[in-house]
Amino acid sequence: MSAELAAMIENADLLVTCGPGGVGKTTTAAALGIAAARNGRKVVVVTVDPARRLADALGIDVDAHMFDPHEVEGVGANGGSLWALMLDAETVFDRMIVDRSGDAAKAQKILDNPVYRSIAGSLSGAQDYMAVERLHQLHTSGDYDLVIIDTPPSRDAIDLLEAPDRLVRFLGHPIYRALTLPSRSFAKVTNAGTSAFLWVVRKLAGPKLVEDTIEFFRSLSGMEQGLRQRAAEAAVLLRARSTSFVLVSSPRAEAVGESLHLANAILDGGFRLDGVVVNLVHPMPAPLVGLDDVPPGPLADQVAYHRELTALAESERAEMAELLHLADGVAVAEVPLLEVDVHDIEGLTRLAHLIID
Amino acid sequence: MTASWVTDAHVMVVAGKGGVGSSTAAAALALVAARDGASVIIISVDGRPGLGPLLGGRPLDGIDRILQTVGTGSSKGVIRGRTIPPQAAFADYLELKGINTMLRKAASAASLDSIAAATPGLEHLLVLGKIKELERERAADLIIVDAPPAGHAAAFLRSAAALQKVVTSGPVRTQADEIAEMLADRTRCQGLLVTVPEETPVNELVELAYDIEEELGLTLAPIIVNACWPDRDGLALTPVAAAKQQNIKLSAANKAALDGSSEFGRVRLDIQRRQLARLDEQLALPRIMLPRLATARLGPAELETIADALGVEPTLAVTG
Repeated sequence: MSAELAAMIENADLLVTCGPGGVGKTTTAAALGIAAARNGRKVVVVTVDPARRLADALGIDVDAHMFDPHEVEGVGANGGSLWALMLDAETVFDRMIVDRSGDAAKAQKILDNPVYRSIAGSLSGAQDYMAVERLHQLHTSGDYDLVIIDTPPSRDAIDLLEAPDRLVRFLGHPIYRALTLPSRSFAKVTNAGTSAFLWVVRKLAGPKLVEDTIEFFRSLSGMEQGLRQRAAEAAVLLRARSTSFVLVSSPRAEAVGESLHLANAILDGGFRLDGVVVNLVHPMPAPLVGLDDVPPGPLADQVAYHRELTALAESERAEMAELLHLADGVAVAEVPLLEVDVHDIEGLTRLAHLIID
Repeated sequence: MTASWVTDAHVMVVAGKGGVGSSTAAAALALVAARDGASVIIISVDGRPGLGPLLGGRPLDGIDRILQTVGTGSSKGVIRGRTIPPQAAFADYLELKGINTMLRKAASAASLDSIAAATPGLEHLLVLGKIKELERERAADLIIVDAPPAGHAAAFLRSAAALQKVVTSGPVRTQADEIAEMLADRTRCQGLLVTVPEETPVNELVELAYDIEEELGLTLAPIIVNACWPDRDGLALTPVAAAKQQNIKLSAANKAALDGSSEFGRVRLDIQRRQLARLDEQLALPRIMLPRLATARLGPAELETIADALGVEPTLAVTG
């Protein structure tokens, strides 16, 4: 369907798929990966939260907390290969702590801290930050020709793009900054705002949380510089010429509205939006002539269904029109609602043809 | 008379995978209850403003506003709507807990509200805490919570349980305990899970159902299956056979057009039947089917149609 999209997967080093939830974003990322692998490239697809059967198709064990990608058998051609990794934010976070602390005992202390454990699992944005961290690692390793990252569903802005800055801001808050200053105990925290903060936290949540919190931030001291540097590197990488964003949507009004917001965020942020894929589009039936007053019966059922499908297909085309003409140079692909859920290599290969050819 | 399940509990948490229409179901539920004279508050957890216009009012924000009144006189129902920004929820929390002035001053000096809102897990807990307060004071007959999409819905509902692990004492712990208590009490809170009759959404609904029922003790209301095609028996035949049965002659063009649409319809209906059977087999919960409307954009008029289908007693799953 799109020669421009075919050229994109030939030339890009890094592809970022983004879009609202429930539009087949992960499936699209995998299909693009297959297309590139069949053209001789070594591709890794990094996903965040794949549906179980899609994960199975890619050979991903969602409970294994893997750090390194593994090869998906029987996909590549012409010397190419497909690799897959499900991003586990906690695993990446843990690994980053170990790498950056430079001291096994110190690292273990952080990993065992209850405040750290709750942050690593659920910090809003932790997943996004870790996605950026990991894609940077995979990209700079030089092990792959193409890294495809499937971002978590988002609506107004691309959380992923803001994640490094947000984490740095969070750690750079004056309260936390004071907490990370080297001093031995709660009693020695002299900054007025900080001691008030700790006093309030102690009143609200008990002394144990205060101790854990202080210990957690203390142990992070010294890492902030590295995080800032990584945030800056990621910002450059995501805006590089060889990085392409692909927006994935469905033709439903809510999804299109969210996608348009995202497209603006991508373009305003100075990122390259190279492709739009609209999935799950109902087919437009050929028109009927006459057959207006069929009495009740099987043919009336057929005509009624035909009219309903036509109305839905027309409505979808009206809603998606704006997405198909976003900006010059943005390739578009329209993918019909398939009769089967795509969750095996065969289905993904078929989807790849629908997007690329 | 409204189906009894609608007002079984004071709070109904509506959740589903992205794109299955759980916000639409939440809005339709508000309409069903209001038609029956109930006062309803609908709360969007991730602050989606769109629910307001869908219910005939202004886009939702942090202020509690009337979106629509339904009927008149003693049976008049009112739908209000709002979001709960975590910072505001924190300020409310300090007020409600009767926390002394000195502590409150210290909290504001330390800009604790902005820290609390940015702190992991606490954001959701603050919002759940506010919902619990609204439930306590019976701010409405029915409080409808439009939860974040599936993966996040579990995290949202689990935030209290997660905090119980980290915080061992103090008012925050009490708060977490009280929320856990509300979630586990079927007269106070239930979950309304939404899916569509397709494989992946059904799988994710089943997972979410087990997760929240087992871990949190949250009672599940009927399962809502959205976007169902109506059963049309005539689609089982080929267009030619259907026309023959009705003694109508099809032109070649009409035959070709119907061949295409009917084949597609048969396949979709077949998927729908198989997925409904899987759902019944795996969950054995009563369910309600909502129609797929022939439009890609739902507005207030379509919402009325969906509400008609929602306000019924569920059919019980027939399991072997």
